[in-house]
Amino acid sequence: MTLNRRTVVQALGTAAATTALPALAQGGAPVRIGYAMARTGPWSVGAQTSQEPNYLLWAEQVNAAGGLDVKGTKRRIELISSDDQSNIETCVRTYEKLMGSDKVDLVLPPWGSNANFAVAPLANRFQYPFLAPTALSRRLVEMKLPYFFLLLQQPKPMMDALVDMLKANGAKTVAVIYVDDLFGLENYAALKVALAGSGINIVEDKSYPLGVKDLSPVLRGFKDKNPDAFIGLTYPPDTILASRQAKEIGFNPKFFYASVGTAFQLYRNVMQAGAEGVLGMGSWNGKTSPGAKAYFDAHVKKFGAAKEPDRWASGATWAGLEILTAAVARVGLDRKAIRDYVAGNTHKTILGDVRFQGSENVGVPGTVGQWQKGEFEVVWPRNRATAPLNPNKPAWV
Amino acid sequence: MSTSDKTWNERLTGWLLDKKLLGRDVLVLFALTGWALAVPHWGSEFAVSMALTCLMYVALATSWTLFCGTTRYLSLATAAFFGIGAYFSAIYIEQLGWATVIVAGAGVAALVALVMGAAVLHLRGTYFAVLTFGMTELIRHAITYWEKQVTGTVGRVLTVAPERDTIYLTVLLLAVLAVATSIVIRRTRFGLALAGIGADEQRAQTLGVNTRWVKIGGFMLTAAFAGAVGAAMSVRWTYIDPSTVFNPFIGFQTVLIALIGGVATLWGPLIAAIVFSLLAETLRLQAPQLYLMTLGVLLILSVLYLPGGLASLRWETFRQWRDDTKAWWKELRRSDADKQKEALS
Amino acid sequence: MSAGAWFELIASGLITGAVYALVGLGLNLQYGLMRILNIAHGEFLMVGAFITWMAHSALGVSPLLMVPISFALLMALGVVVHRLTFRRLARTSPNVDIFEARGLMVAFGLMFLVQNFAQSVWGADLRGYDYLTDPVRVGGEGGAQFAGNKLLLLALSLLFSVGLIVLLKQTLLGKGVRALMQSPTGAQLVGIDTQRLHPLMFGVGLGLSGVAGCLLSMAYTITPAMGEPYTVTALIVITLGGFGSMGGALAGGLALGVIEAVGMHFTNPSLKSLLSYAVFIGVLLWKPNGLFNKRS
Repeated sequence: MTLNRRTVVQALGTAAATTALPALAQGGAPVRIGYAMARTGPWSVGAQTSQEPNYLLWAEQVNAAGGLDVKGTKRRIELISSDDQSNIETCVRTYEKLMGSDKVDLVLPPWGSNANFAVAPLANRFQYPFLAPTALSRRLVEMKLPYFFLLLQQPKPMMDALVDMLKANGAKTVAVIYVDDLFGLENYAALKVALAGSGINIVEDKSYPLGVKDLSPVLRGFKDKNPDAFIGLTYPPDTILASRQAKEIGFNPKFFYASVGTAFQLYRNVMQAGAEGVLGMGSWNGKTSPGAKAYFDAHVKKFGAAKEPDRWASGATWAGLEILTAAVARVGLDRKAIRDYVAGNTHKTILGDVRFQGSENVGVPGTVGQWQKGEFEVVWPRNRATAPLNPNKPAWV
Repeated sequence: MSTSDKTWNERLTGWLLDKKLLGRDVLVLFALTGWALAVPHWGSEFAVSMALTCLMYVALATSWTLFCGTTRYLSLATAAFFGIGAYFSAIYIEQLGWATVIVAGAGVAALVALVMGAAVLHLRGTYFAVLTFGMTELIRHAITYWEKQVTGTVGRVLTVAPERDTIYLTVLLLAVLAVATSIVIRRTRFGLALAGIGADEQRAQTLGVNTRWVKIGGFMLTAAFAGAVGAAMSVRWTYIDPSTVFNPFIGFQTVLIALIGGVATLWGPLIAAIVFSLLAETLRLQAPQLYLMTLGVLLILSVLYLPGGLASLRWETFRQWRDDTKAWWKELRRSDADKQKEALS
Repeated sequence: MSAGAWFELIASGLITGAVYALVGLGLNLQYGLMRILNIAHGEFLMVGAFITWMAHSALGVSPLLMVPISFALLMALGVVVHRLTFRRLARTSPNVDIFEARGLMVAFGLMFLVQNFAQSVWGADLRGYDYLTDPVRVGGEGGAQFAGNKLLLLALSLLFSVGLIVLLKQTLLGKGVRALMQSPTGAQLVGIDTQRLHPLMFGVGLGLSGVAGCLLSMAYTITPAMGEPYTVTALIVITLGGFGSMGGALAGGLALGVIEAVGMHFTNPSLKSLLSYAVFIGVLLWKPNGLFNKRS
């Protein structure tokens, strides 16, 4: 082909057209997705670790690939978000605005059980599907709201898994502390049920109020009783407090289990080498599936190595977003159809299969995680484990 | 009659003679009510939510001012009564129905106020404020403990919730009632007694006012409104637990609004409640921390420079500030000139 | 329970109590002298903790060095705050009751301002660092084990508390302060300068709070919301000890710490708050002048 003017013009024309194609294919109006998230106040620690970064990463990833696939057409995602200030009234008001006045296409849930309790009835009233990754309560499940789905494993499966693991490893006695909150109480009740008939005895149990400053008197009492396992049904600040104070007084049971927060990178930062062998609530890491690794890497790339996704709720958040993406690709933006799709199918996510029975995710079983050499591995149940359990936690360093 | 007695009497009787202001007050109340009633019909979801928050704080701040503003007993127990009403509503709403639960919630809160008041209202000033705060926390921890040990739960789920409009109208009614009560009480003996206690308690006592029961009565009235508002608002949150409904911030914000609005006035708290609800919403979207910081700064500024609150703002106030600043500037410059003179002589 | 366990329990109570006493003393100084009930006291404690953390993580400054530095910084801040706010209040308030009420409101405003300022600057994340966390055995085998930083906490808190009390009793400055506390007019008649003493003492109060924050940051995680519980505890301490009584605040703080530790051990930590508040209200109602106050 000779390089004459015509060819050049043709070539330029084709080039121009090709670059314009994706823009054309992205088709008009963006998909408006709204949410409220705690950026200030007590909920913000959890919210900014497990939830909001994932929302942002997802929108960025999807838009970079051309947009959200809405039944064949790709449309850009537009996130409409605001700070709920860890305040329920603000949360309720924001979602009323998003769903009632602004009439956004989709919504994403806020952080925490309290906020989700408040917005779940709204989800139902306005008929927007909610896939909540940070809500944990049997009562929410019992409300039987058809538009509300809980992704996180609920107390019963988590405690069952813990007890199974302890039983299989010969633990005979446990000491328990739990926070004076719905989370602590429900998990404690589930723990007691799971322990009944297991051959394991609770030698001592104590509850403590939110915001406790000192747990060492309690831990000293536990140390005296010398249990095989310590179970803390705790929130991040108390998880850290209990760990540090156990180290101070030299309380070294074979199994040391703390709940929320153990799976955060923050825990490893604070406890450093002392995190080795600590058990906690976690359900995935980069080894769980190739998708999980890809997600982990993308998260670290966007937010830096200092902000890894946490090994429990973050995974659930991402799984929820995967389900939503698949639903929209399949049935478009018809919210009732999305709800039916979510409720009626088994979904493949980075956590494995997710399947809903009513509001509860019964596809992911209860799991136990453990810090091993700087990584939070899944150690129970064996068929999901990324590493074998270390049944003898080394003494605190 | 000594001169100080005369001033005390003059101030009190001033209230009684304010009949023309009664007309003005009632008219304004009607206008505001009418406007508020229109919101659910014409306004968006969001506007209704906003209005609801405004009305909630109008009710809380006005009823707080009714007792605490006049008698100058600063109560930090608003959150306690709010929480009691909320809990009552959560527990009994299924059995009792909406209207009963609101009234009963108010009643229970008033009873608690009776007990609390009888125990602590003989202490003044900071003691009283600190005590009411302590009691709020005590009630919160007591309820948490009780719930945990006896009922085995911590929060309560409200399974029955009335229509959004019902909630709105209820809170509107409470706000209107609070303002109306405030308007009426100022012109009764009870209101005079409250003001007298605020001006000089011992004198009021010697002049025959039964200060103990007047104070308890006022306290109970404040508590009843807070309890009713708590009972109404809890349904919006579906799940309540002690830390949400006994949140001291509710009490703090009420006090802040009342103080900045003007503790001894009728319309001050109302104006401030509206201004602050709107301010909170606007700032929340841009800079959430800024709202609370602004609140703090405004409170400090108003206590230092405008102790009567926003409602006492008049043209004279601005003139006074301008004069003060001029005098201060002159003071600075004069000392410089003085220094120069000294250096020369 | 073994003797060693008892020793550990009481000692850990004394450790927390020493911090309570330190914070309580600062608050007491401000209230006893100036009738300023500074409910923003805990927020300044939080500021002390944060600046220590910042200095340690960003500049590598030893927290031990930060103890006198945070005292100095917060004392300066205290003087400035007093000058900007309470001084004008003192001039414009018609009587002491009104001054007290207005002072309380200003402190309220300060609480909001400082806490949210800290949150906007440092964010809500939990922060912390490790300093002297290695356990120290006291009393050999069968004895007790404490973290090094906790023992340091105890030692320094007691040092500062006792130091303040000695300052007030023995030095001329202290005598002036005590005279002012007893009789403001009388003190001014004999020439004690209120204008300089008030801001200075307010600053000292805040400085003590800052030191407490610095010490706490060594052993506990810090967040912008950490100050409020300490304010409440300080209130309880000064109520127990008596408004204006320094020795009472020290004794009250230590006692409260031990009561809490023993109570938590034998019952439930959940009851701890209930107990503290019940004690608080009980004392306020029954002995408003405090348990340790001679004039009651």
